[in-house]
Amino acid sequence: MTSKRTSTITPNRSNKPDYEKLAQQLNAIKTDIRARVGNEDAQYIKRVIVLQRVCEWTGRILLMLGFLQPVLWAVGVLSLATAKILDNMEIGHNVMHGQYDWMNDKHINSKAYEWDIACDGSSWNRVHNYEHHTYTNIIGKDRDFGYGLLRLSSDFRWRVKNLWQFITYLLLSVFFQWGVAYHEMAAERVFFGKKKDNRKNTVTHTQLKKRFFSKGARQLVKDYVLFPLLAGPLFLWVFAGNALANLLRNLWTSTIIFCGHFTGDVETFKEEDCKNETQGQWYYRQALGSSNITGGNVFHVLTGHLSFQIEHHLFPDIPARRYREMAPKVKAVFEEHGMHYNTGSFVKQYSSVLKRILRYSLP
Amino acid sequence: MKSLLSKISHSLFHHLTWKGYWEPLVQRFKPAWRDGLFRAQITSATYLNPNTLQILLSPEKKWPVHLAGQHVSLTIEINGRLTTRVFTIASGASTHALENELRLVIRIKEQGALTPHLPTLSPGQWVNISPPMGRFALREDKDMLMIAGGSGITPFIAMLEDYTSKHAAKHSSNGCKEHHSRQASMKPNIHLLYYAKQGEHLLIDELSNISSKLPNFAFRLLTKANDGDVERYLPEFYTYEWMVCGPQSLYGPISKNALANNISLESEHFTALLPTVFNSSEEEQTFLIQHDNKALHVNNQQSLLTQLQQASVPVNYGCGMGICHQCQCVKKQGIVRDMRTGELSDNAEELIQLCVSQAVTNLELQS
Repeated sequence: MTSKRTSTITPNRSNKPDYEKLAQQLNAIKTDIRARVGNEDAQYIKRVIVLQRVCEWTGRILLMLGFLQPVLWAVGVLSLATAKILDNMEIGHNVMHGQYDWMNDKHINSKAYEWDIACDGSSWNRVHNYEHHTYTNIIGKDRDFGYGLLRLSSDFRWRVKNLWQFITYLLLSVFFQWGVAYHEMAAERVFFGKKKDNRKNTVTHTQLKKRFFSKGARQLVKDYVLFPLLAGPLFLWVFAGNALANLLRNLWTSTIIFCGHFTGDVETFKEEDCKNETQGQWYYRQALGSSNITGGNVFHVLTGHLSFQIEHHLFPDIPARRYREMAPKVKAVFEEHGMHYNTGSFVKQYSSVLKRILRYSLP
Repeated sequence: MKSLLSKISHSLFHHLTWKGYWEPLVQRFKPAWRDGLFRAQITSATYLNPNTLQILLSPEKKWPVHLAGQHVSLTIEINGRLTTRVFTIASGASTHALENELRLVIRIKEQGALTPHLPTLSPGQWVNISPPMGRFALREDKDMLMIAGGSGITPFIAMLEDYTSKHAAKHSSNGCKEHHSRQASMKPNIHLLYYAKQGEHLLIDELSNISSKLPNFAFRLLTKANDGDVERYLPEFYTYEWMVCGPQSLYGPISKNALANNISLESEHFTALLPTVFNSSEEEQTFLIQHDNKALHVNNQQSLLTQLQQASVPVNYGCGMGICHQCQCVKKQGIVRDMRTGELSDNAEELIQLCVSQAVTNLELQS
């Protein structure tokens, strides 16, 4: 990557916000909500977990009834996919962010939770919570920007492989859980020994490899061996159902996540810009590096409230359901400072993502 | 069976325990059903005096019966947050057998995290208790001196209750008064010195009742203001074995005295009660922390993470600003200050982030 920054994405804003005031205002929103977090939120996350269990078991049972009536199988696939989406997004992602650590619950906390996906929870936690959330959209520090596969801004030198990056993107979406798992293992350096000197290792490569293989293998065995075997003669029904449910989950999560960070207006930052940054500058970067999607209640739950990506990046450990009530206040603060509050319908945001992927596949 | 279920839940549902996977669902039908803890239902919560509450609990059948003198941890959900404190059981195993009931006698601490919420418990509500813990028990073969301070009366009440039901029951079935007293006189003596503030001695009726049934038991209600320090009463009991339950200020002189006179002493003293007024963070103080198996000193000026790193303790870390939760560890006990908000933590076990926490008391941490 080069440090050259030819700017396509609103680089030189003439009016930078008053960072100190911005920090104060956003902190006030946070303090106000934090004081209200309590029983309601605890009951909510438990309700979602119950819903997840119900969807999961309904799905698994219906998969086996496919031989009676294929429609039951199809409903089973949808139900299981919903369970996996709930587990990964509203429960897993948010619990592992520490949003519910205050509950003191033995199972619902960021240290204990493990999700139904190929990616090992604690490895994800490290890369996602630390690198991605701290260094959001800093080119060279936040490897989530393009996942090392896609060129999404002119901060990266164009390479021939970028020509077909739309296909790479489709493949990444289809195999998203493996993409994430491999990516979070910091694949390029763990498996091929490429070193980046700006990253400190607090976990050894051996440990990372072990986690990658043990969680990945566990996931494969569970989805494609154990559950199908439990179904006995209905092995193939269950095998195919699990595969399809995983695919649906992969497509959904990938799409939502891309809408959160790679829409056309999302900005990138240089490492130099962020040295010794103040809290206000940090907030500013988080704000402009994310985008929201508008939608209804069910939609927000299924995205794990990542449809409020801006609020999530500003307040990563506030229970996500609270982003709904924070959003109007955040938006008002942005407007006051003349900052762009990047939001729009799913269609608008997603087509903007696709455009961006296509745009940067060319030099 | 249990390990098989754990294996299944681990490989099929990514959960460490089978119960953990089902917990939120089962709680819909069985409130407070929790992995690793027992359920108990509140029977009543009544005030013994303006700041002492008596709680009667009926534990689920599976609960292993306690020995008089043992304690349990009580966990209740306060505004969505599980909060746990340890209390001595103030009733005997005999009561549990008869009425399936446990009694806790609890002093309400205004600033406490749990006790101020206890009066809101309503009959029928479910809470969690741990299995009985501790080995503070009455020896029946020696003359015993019990010394209680304040709510430290609780284990002794439990012991005396069981002792009475065991021995007094025999007598009444015997029906022979003369035999009764002869047998009693052969029994070792039990003497209780009970210190409390004026007018705050608890359960006096029960103590009188017990002493009327047990000729070998006597008790004295003492206050520091009127009766002076405990040391002046100790010499008459140099031939006894001693048991103490009370605050450090009571335990300290007694343990010195016991050591000097080579007397066997069992104790259940409230360990290093928290300072009631915390010094402001400007004043530098040093605390001892236990991190896994390593002990080190830290101050209250820098974050725990900085100081652990300076001491070359291997710790995971990330952003250093309280966002990424990489440096999170389990605080087993002690109080920390959140450097972002100045908020003080609870004293019980919970997760903390080292990079934004400062020590306010001694700490025990587990990575």
